[in-house]
Amino acid sequence: MTENIYKGNRILLVEDEETLAIGLEYNLTEEGFDVKWAKNGREAIDFYEADKFDLVILDIMLPYIDGFEIAERIRSSDPKLPILMLTAKTEKADRIKGLEKGVDDYVTKPFHLDELLLRVKGMLKRKSWYKTASEKQPVYKFGKNEINFDNLMCKCGTEEIRLTQLEAMMLKYFVEKEGEVVTRKELLENIWHLNPDIETRTVDIFIARLRKYFEPDPSNPIYFESVRGLGYTFSSGRK
Amino acid sequence: MRGKHSLFYHILIFILAQLVWLSLLGIWIYWYVKNYLVFEKVGESVSPQLIYDVQNALPFVLGLILLIGLSFITSLIFRHLNVQLKITRLYDNFIGNVTHELKSPLSSIQLYLETLKQRDVPPEKQKEFIEIMLKDTGRLQGLINSILEMAATEKKKLLYDYQVHDADNFMKKIIEESFERFRVDKENFGISGVVDCKILAGRDALRIVFDNLVDNAVKYSVKKPMIDIQLNSYGGKLIIQFTDNAIGIATNEQKKIFNKFYRIYNNEIPNVKGTGLGLYRVREIIKAHHGKITVSSKGKDKGTTFTIELPVYKGNDNRWLKKFSDTKI
Repeated sequence: MTENIYKGNRILLVEDEETLAIGLEYNLTEEGFDVKWAKNGREAIDFYEADKFDLVILDIMLPYIDGFEIAERIRSSDPKLPILMLTAKTEKADRIKGLEKGVDDYVTKPFHLDELLLRVKGMLKRKSWYKTASEKQPVYKFGKNEINFDNLMCKCGTEEIRLTQLEAMMLKYFVEKEGEVVTRKELLENIWHLNPDIETRTVDIFIARLRKYFEPDPSNPIYFESVRGLGYTFSSGRK
Repeated sequence: MRGKHSLFYHILIFILAQLVWLSLLGIWIYWYVKNYLVFEKVGESVSPQLIYDVQNALPFVLGLILLIGLSFITSLIFRHLNVQLKITRLYDNFIGNVTHELKSPLSSIQLYLETLKQRDVPPEKQKEFIEIMLKDTGRLQGLINSILEMAATEKKKLLYDYQVHDADNFMKKIIEESFERFRVDKENFGISGVVDCKILAGRDALRIVFDNLVDNAVKYSVKKPMIDIQLNSYGGKLIIQFTDNAIGIATNEQKKIFNKFYRIYNNEIPNVKGTGLGLYRVREIIKAHHGKITVSSKGKDKGTTFTIELPVYKGNDNRWLKKFSDTKI
């Protein structure tokens, strides 16, 4: 019998639809997670401030405080906590807004149970891989950029920004594969731990964000270049 | 964003149309004055006895009428466009809200079905999940009915299951059932007043009325809802006053809340779910019962009172009964 590596991981489930929340809580508990359910935005903030969690599953349309604001508040105090947005809002603008607020993944309702559980587990796996990888080389420099993989702070020329956990993971992956072509499929499998048939747009949104942060001219990238029909390649300019 | 842009373009087009109209008017007057002098000179030299005034005034007046007519038509088109724009915006909101309201129970049902398929769920849990799924299908049914009823209401093809009821028992039972459905604890509501009369009413229709009022009172309450209901009967009417302690309704919004698709937005309680059809349905049902519903609120955070007036049953008054049998709202 294999050991359940997720056992005891704490999940904050923020969902105001009671029937859906009961089902999610049951399934997550069956997978070995320890679930705390917040019924509205206020409760979510209270629970988050009072306790420690390994992952947050967050709806957008919530009473009192919406999911975007909750994500923003969580990010301001913890840039590494994985956040998965689970919402009925399917518009691209909402997805982008969520990712901009620091959400790591976005699932729309109605969803498949398998897919949701895979994404949750993928996020937790990423978190653990990143912890090991960032310990080896906590600070990395390229061009005018300096990244601290430990606290996720970046100096991009004169500006200072804080990456989200997923952005840092992607960057770390590119750094480790410098000079090689990294395909979208590979990124989805290794960073998102997802079936590449499910989702492809998310990768492009994240690449656009990395270019915005680190490229002198994001429309003519020199560090994160596209390889037509394949994916992307990273070059620090030193090799 | 799209709505804001559309409004901007419409206003711009309207201003440009008015500028074009004023320029045309200016050119017209200029042309008339210029040609009047030429015509007068030519006329005087050719035939001094001709009367110019009437002949020259006619094209001037006709031209003015034409231009004023054009301006009037432009204004009408602008007004019509604005109305259309408002309706489109409300409709877009409605579609967004309905989509959201449909997706939530659908996601829940899908989740439970996949859970039952993939996991070895104990029999007790299975029963619980089936109950939840039935609740969700009920929610979907209610939503679909409200949309279908809206169409039927507009085509005036909706009839209710009218029956004579003892007003006191009937109303109290229906209201209590609504509180039960929305899980309002007994200490959070009170029903007072005893009425000794009968009413002719559709049970399902009045259930929809009180479900909507209770649902709104719960959804729009920042604190624990406290709802007070008073029953009275006078002047041949049954009066039901439904008072809550929710966020209240601003005076300028009180008339609009019964409009189709209209929804109140309040910063204190964002993201209140709904379709904007609830109070519209309530008003149409009360109207079909030959009654009246009004709303009053003392202002922000001071709650809302809905007053429903229903006609008391008048026995074998055939003319009165005919009104109900012919009722197609």
